[in-house]
Amino acid sequence: MLETLKKTLASLGADGWELTENKTSRWEFYFIRHSLDQNRAAETVNYSVKVYKKLEGGLLGSASCEINPTDTAAEVEKKLSDLLERASLVKNPEYSLVSEKITLPDKTERVDVQKIARDFIEAVASVPETESEDINSYEIFVSEITRHTLNSNGVEYTAVYPASMLEIVVNARREGHEIELYRQFNSGSCDKEKVRADVLAAMRTGRDRLSAEPTPRVENIDVVLSTEDAVSVFEYFTMNANVQAKYRRISPFEKGRPVCDWQGGDRISVRAVRELDNSSRNFPVDAEGSVIEERDIIKDGVLCDFWGQRQFSQYLGIEKNSVISNFVFEGGSALSEELRSGDYIELVEFSDFQVDSMGGDVAGEIRLGYLHKDGETKIITGGSVSGSMLEAAPTMKYSRETAQYDNIVIPAVVRLGNLRITGVK
Amino acid sequence: MLYCIKMAIYGVINLKAKFSQYLASIAPELKRLVAILGESYDYVSVLSTDSKGISLTISQRAKNVTTQNITTERGSVVRVYKNGLYSEYAFNCFDSAEKLAERAKAALDSQLALLKLTGSKVYDTAKLDDSPMELFVEKDAEILPEECDAGEFINLFTELSDEGMKTIPGALDVMVRASGTHINKMFLTANRDLRQSYSYVEGSAASYAPGKDGDMKFTHVGVSGCGGMELLYGLREKIKTLPGVMADLVASEKIVPGEYEIITDPTVTGLIAHEAFGHGVEMDMFVKNRALGKDYIDKRVGSDKVTMHEGARCDESVTAFAFDDEGTLAGDVIEIDRGILRTGICDALSALRLGVAPTGNGKRQSYDHKVYTRMTNTVFDSGDDKLEDMIKSIDHGYLLRGMQSGMEDPKHWGIQCIIERGYEIKNGALTGVCVSPVVMTGYVPDLLGGVSMATGDRVVEGNGACGKGYKEWVKVADGGPYLKTKARLG
Repeated sequence: MLETLKKTLASLGADGWELTENKTSRWEFYFIRHSLDQNRAAETVNYSVKVYKKLEGGLLGSASCEINPTDTAAEVEKKLSDLLERASLVKNPEYSLVSEKITLPDKTERVDVQKIARDFIEAVASVPETESEDINSYEIFVSEITRHTLNSNGVEYTAVYPASMLEIVVNARREGHEIELYRQFNSGSCDKEKVRADVLAAMRTGRDRLSAEPTPRVENIDVVLSTEDAVSVFEYFTMNANVQAKYRRISPFEKGRPVCDWQGGDRISVRAVRELDNSSRNFPVDAEGSVIEERDIIKDGVLCDFWGQRQFSQYLGIEKNSVISNFVFEGGSALSEELRSGDYIELVEFSDFQVDSMGGDVAGEIRLGYLHKDGETKIITGGSVSGSMLEAAPTMKYSRETAQYDNIVIPAVVRLGNLRITGVK
Repeated sequence: MLYCIKMAIYGVINLKAKFSQYLASIAPELKRLVAILGESYDYVSVLSTDSKGISLTISQRAKNVTTQNITTERGSVVRVYKNGLYSEYAFNCFDSAEKLAERAKAALDSQLALLKLTGSKVYDTAKLDDSPMELFVEKDAEILPEECDAGEFINLFTELSDEGMKTIPGALDVMVRASGTHINKMFLTANRDLRQSYSYVEGSAASYAPGKDGDMKFTHVGVSGCGGMELLYGLREKIKTLPGVMADLVASEKIVPGEYEIITDPTVTGLIAHEAFGHGVEMDMFVKNRALGKDYIDKRVGSDKVTMHEGARCDESVTAFAFDDEGTLAGDVIEIDRGILRTGICDALSALRLGVAPTGNGKRQSYDHKVYTRMTNTVFDSGDDKLEDMIKSIDHGYLLRGMQSGMEDPKHWGIQCIIERGYEIKNGALTGVCVSPVVMTGYVPDLLGGVSMATGDRVVEGNGACGKGYKEWVKVADGGPYLKTKARLG
């Protein structure tokens, strides 16, 4: 199919093209308690093609489509010919495709899907369950992905990488009352010890939730986050450092300027990295054929430069850029226990914790938290947290210790001021 | 049983979404595949898809056109059953029936070998019914997504974006986007041959502008439905509301947290329907004992004013299919009847496990994803109240408009809805004060138990997608009338 596509694109006279071939081999196992509900295997190939056409007035037309592996040569020609016609209608300011030859060796080490799947099954089976805490159900997804990227400038790269996901639900119960906790862990392959520790931590959370009382009305109290929910707090910064957000005038960030009006908080530093241990997004070349360079995105609270797609980068005057897959935030000034001092509310479980990167709005219904006030600790549930990153970020403090969640490393504990808690009593 | 249905949605328009020639061409070989695998397994089905579409995004800053969107796909999935276990093999490289059977068996046998090594037990399930059935459905659509004149819609959207920039106060951009898919699906077993072809489209116009506190305000309007790209012309009228809404948002204040009397507009009503007793009665969750609804069948969960329907037949929306992804015919169930929870919705395997009939709610994100019990149209019935009477009846509360997102909690019946804006009501009248955003939280039976009024109109919308947990994205629609109830806002 690749040869057919290349030959057809050349014969149709496209001014440029980008092509991605994605081969996926995936194994899936679904368990109810520890009994197999269903097993699934998928073997698929997908081709994405984007064509470019130079237009009058310094404009560039483009349009993209998917080619099916079952398309005949005639169908491919018809699709690409139609695509070129459509491209002439989609007029954007001109930009160039990647032309730097890739000197990195292809990443060709095969992924042992069977072994990774076995590790997940064994890791979950090894979690000790009790009469009061156990596993309700879990789903295992393990993929070997082969991504082959090519363009009309002769750029070509192949990366084979693993991508896995464990979705697990645990129950905790006491005196006829049962609650559940949902977790979704994404990773490259299976870190058995981490899976076990994460599931046990969820069970501990479940135990505490059974003892929770309704969240009281509290005012002017700092919020501490110490779970994966904190990722969205830090993604507020990476999303606003994206070229598309800037070009679309959504991001208030400016190159060389502080990313917020720091008022005594720790100043953010985040670095783009090509690969992270056990990330599910370890491909050293992005989908446009740009090699992912390791570099600072934000340093000591100041934006070094935007990251992202080539089109929007060039519109902003950034000639060389790439779509970053893995980020590492630096730890802060204090130890975790220092952040957990005085009056504060530590929120560890939400229905859905959201930080809107566009406006900075923060919202989440509280399922479990620990209210530390006047020297006492109460386990609380219900109510919500809300506010804005514009007010919370300047005073934010975070821990020296860090934690990894799939493709991002963030401080393990973050303390935020200026958020509102809506209690239920 | 033999079904043969031809559906016509619009009396005037009589253009059919023609069934995929590709699927028709591979049907004989797939039937051979079913027969070959039938020698090794006790039940075999194949679902094949060939869904073509388009997606267009036009703004002042950038334009994009692609034939890919979340429902475009071409591929097949084989489901087999033996010794109480269902297994599936998904593929999109077609081959002879013999080679496909060999590939499927090899992949699934290796998985069973691994499961033997790990000592995994099987959740024993009965065999699916395979009594004879035939169905051929081609629904109406004037302009199919894959055949549309992209230039015409680029021009329309450019015109709407330009108009929005002139009329929406402070707008930094106006993005008009649409996607549509001509869905083609074929479900085959030894005794069944079901084929359907229909088109759906969704479109939206969105704008953002700086708020008075340095934040960014975002609002949007949308159109959606079962049909062709012609539905997108509805955006011309809808976009006219954006200037007023944006002016309200830019001037909006933060809400003082507390419990209030509220009125929900149809989009917020739909969000409540979806999150409260949509996810909460997906019966694959009953199998896992993950939903409190299981213990509340025939018990009160809302006021007398609450009646709720679910099913692909409830509305000609983005999810108005004729059969689901397991070959069950589309349904229309009354989940809540005047406050009493009557039933849930169910995929075919969960139905076997629970000893009930499937309701036509077995849906996949795509051919290479598993079936789960999923929503289709989830809709509150209308009442007979008037909106102005609802407002007059409130001492201090809010009229909530514009859904943003929600999250369910079927096990504990907590609900979280993030709503674009609220309009203050004091002493029976709107004060002109707008608050945004609004986080509505509460306990579902309290929220539905508090429903005291419902208007006579009803709107169903299907923009966006719904996930199960944080994955498995499918098209759904929801809605209802304006409802009056009480909730915690923050």
